[in-house]
This record gives sequence, structure tokens and C-alpha cells, in this order.
Amino acid sequence: MINFENELKKFRPSLEIEDAEEIIYNQDLDDMADILVGLIKEARTEDAGRHSAPKYK
Amino acid sequence: MNCYQCGAELTSREFCPNCGAKVKVYKRIMALSNRYYNEGLERAQIRNMSGAVESLHQSLKLNKRNIQARNLLGLVYYETGEVVAALSEWVISKNLKSNENAADDYINLVQNDLSRLENFNQTIKKYNIALNYCHQDSLDMAIIQLKKVLSMNPSFIRAHLLLALLYLNNGNYAKAKIEAEKSLKLDTGNVMAARYLKEAEGMMLPQDVKEAESKEKNSGDVIRYQRDNETIIQPVRNNVFTRSGSIWGIVLGVILGIAVACFLILPKRIQEMNASYKTQIAEISEESDSKSAKLGEYEQQIEALKSELDGLKTEMTSMESSDSTSSAGNDLMEAVSLYLNDATNIDGIEEKLAKVDLNSMEDEATKEFKDLYDSFMVLVGAELSKRSYDTGYEAYRSADYETAITFLSKAFQYDNTNVDALYNLGNAYYESGDTDNAKVVYDQVINDFSDTRSASSAETKLAEINNATN
Repeated sequence: MINFENELKKFRPSLEIEDAEEIIYNQDLDDMADILVGLIKEARTEDAGRHSAPKYK
Repeated sequence: MNCYQCGAELTSREFCPNCGAKVKVYKRIMALSNRYYNEGLERAQIRNMSGAVESLHQSLKLNKRNIQARNLLGLVYYETGEVVAALSEWVISKNLKSNENAADDYINLVQNDLSRLENFNQTIKKYNIALNYCHQDSLDMAIIQLKKVLSMNPSFIRAHLLLALLYLNNGNYAKAKIEAEKSLKLDTGNVMAARYLKEAEGMMLPQDVKEAESKEKNSGDVIRYQRDNETIIQPVRNNVFTRSGSIWGIVLGVILGIAVACFLILPKRIQEMNASYKTQIAEISEESDSKSAKLGEYEQQIEALKSELDGLKTEMTSMESSDSTSSAGNDLMEAVSLYLNDATNIDGIEEKLAKVDLNSMEDEATKEFKDLYDSFMVLVGAELSKRSYDTGYEAYRSADYETAITFLSKAFQYDNTNVDALYNLGNAYYESGDTDNAKVVYDQVINDFSDTRSASSAETKLAEINNATN
């Protein structure tokens, strides 16, 4: 048995044309490739830091 | 495929030929993105729009630069009525790859047809209004609004689903089923539509199901049948008669209706109307009879009242005459009394006797009254006659014939031997134009005073009158 109130909550207002610009600007475009590149860059930075840091005795 | 670090074209090796960056994982991510794109494409091809959206989203999460996936996602959105989402995807796609991008065509297609774009926008606005109505519990208004939305854009799945939900809520399961089925035709993988369809079918009564099925069968002008392993769909052959069957039906119905009206309804109506008219005529004639009877009665009453009035008038006249007789008697008595007290008071006696007119009393005067009057006239008649004659003659000379007639009549009344008074009375009548009375008076002069000058003058006057009338 369907609960009308609960089902109604699943319906969201449709996007209007006036809102298109805002939607485009606010869209999170980061993808897995960006994350991977970020991870690689981070790893390299850490690696570079480890090689350049003074060794403690 | 390009290197994520330097942008150089990658080869089949696991490192970049230009910068030497390791690209094994990167290549796997790109491949996965493409796999999701292929899956999305397959789903879109069988109109599983929800599934396609899901796959294409996955693809873009892995590789935002997957232009084909993004463009396809835009198309899928467009097909389900989500025009703004579609445009957003295409704009981003064009931003990521400005040259040789199919998104260009899609955007132009939408933007060049402004009326269509406006229509989409209105549809979306109306859908949002309908959703608001739902939240405000104005469900009937929401249904009306959604029907408008779907008439403007029949492929708007969300509107179909909301309408199906509203129909389910108000117990209209057949309609809910239809809307859910329409949604499933547009998006075969729509879970919500499938759920609503199941719910609607579960709640429908067996006879409702049969009715819906028969409607469905009749709705299409095709015949479906199975031959071996094939389902054959054949259009129904419509000849002129079957196609225009409904028109013939209407014509036949009209003819039958007219026939029934002419042969069954009209005669009865006419009969009823005749009967009612007859009743009315009978009522009116009865009323007329009673009124004419009353009229007769009123006429009789008028006649009776008239005769009564005549009687009363006669009675009143006799009373008036008796009054005048009695008042004349009183005046005479007063005049006699004045004389007895003072015989020289001729003015007073004349005043009293002026009211006594013997001519008007005629037979009503009693013998005693006449005797008293005559005896009294022997005493005062000559004097009174002279005074009246003088006044009357003066009036005659001054052409005041009315006064002359009054006083000269009195003068002769006081003294019936005063021939001058009588002759001049005739003259006064003659001059005033009253020839009838003049003739009477002249006759009296000729008869009563035959040997006098006045008689001969009267004869001359009488001859003049007779000549003038002849």
C-alpha cells in the first residue's frame, strides 16, 4: 500500500529555465580522474618532501 | 585518450610517451567510464531512461570529459521532459569541448524554436504549481493543472507519475494505471511507475480490469493475432459504411426521434392541449354567464333606482311649490299687516308684495288667498301699479327690457285695468325678441281693452309680427 505523503516527498520541483545558469555554475564537475591526479600530485609532493628534509640522528 | 599530466596522446603502453607518467589506473578509469556510457546507450535505446541516466551519471563521475556520455545524458533528459537539465548538460559539454561537438546542434535546435522553449518553460512552471497544490492539499486543482501540463508536453514523465499518484490517492485506479503505463512507455525502467502500476492493478476490481482491457482493445484500429511464433498486427479494414457508421447511426437516431415525436408524442400533446383549452373555454363561458346574470340584476336595480329618483323629484317639486305658496301667503299677510299699521308705508308693502307672483302660483293659490289679495289690491293696487309702471316704463325707454318686463308685469298684476302697463309689457317682449309672449300680451290687450288706442296699436304690432313670421 502506497503512502501518499511519503510518495509526494519524492517529487521535487522541476528546474526552470531561469535557474539554468545557477545550476551550471554550481555543478560539481570533479571526476574520478581529477581525484586520481590529485592523489598522484599529493604522493609526489610527499615524496619530494621526504627526500629534501634533513635526516635526524 | 590524452595524458592527464601533459595532454599528449597516449599509446597502448602503461606510461605516457611524452612525459612518462604512469597511466595504467587512469586508462582503467577511462575504460570504465566508456563502459558505463555503453551501458547507458543500450538502456537509452530500449527507452530505459532511468537506467540510462544512472549509467551515464556513473560514466561522467569517472570521466567528466566523456562528451558523448554527457550529450547522451542531455538527450535522455530532453526526452523525459527535463529540458533545463538537458540544456545544462549540453552547455557544460560545449564548454569542455568547443569544437565538433554535437551539443552545439542540440542547443541550437532548442534555442532557435523560441515558442517551443517557452512551451517547455510553461510546462515546467505549471508542473511546479501542481506540486505546490499537492502540498497545500488542493488535489483536484493539482489534477487539473497536471492534465494541462500533459496536454502541452505528453512526454513529461514526472507529470505522469504525479498524476498517477494523485489518482491512486483518490481511488481512481483505472486512471492511475493508465498514467503509470504511459510513464512506463516513455521510460521502461522507471521503478516508481512500475510500483504505481502494480499498486493500481492490485487495487482494481476484476470488472474494472476487464473494462479497461476491453477499452484498450477497442482503442486501437488493429487486429493482433498469433501465427506460429509471430505476432501479426493487421490494421482493421474500414469501408465507407463502417467508417461512417457513427454518422449513419446519428442520422438514423434523428429520423427515429422525429418519427416518435410525430406519431407518438405530438398527438398526445395536441390532445392534452385541446383538452386543456376546452376546460378553459368552459370556465370562461361559465364566468361570462354569471357576469351577464349579474349585469341583468344591476340593470333592474338601476331601473328601480331611476323610478325612485323620479318619485323623489316629483315629491320635491310639490314640496317646493307648497313652500312657495305658503311663503307667498306669508308675504301677503305681512304686507296687509304693514298696511294696517301704516297705510302710507307703500315702500314696505311693495317690498313684501314683490315676492308674491300670482302667475307662478296659478292653481295652487287658495280661494281665500285670492280673495284677500284682490281685496287688498282694491286698497293699494292703483298706487303700487303706478309705481311699478313708472319704473318699468323707464327701464323700457332705456332699453333694459328684462327689468321692464318684470316691473310692467307687476304693474298689471297690481291693477288689471292698467292697459298701458299691459301694452308696454307687450312692447318690452317684442323689443326683447320674445315674439311669442308679445303676441299673447297683444292679444290680451286687443281682447280685454278693445276700444282703446292701445288695442289698435297692439293690432298693428301683432300684424307686424305676423307679417315678419310669414
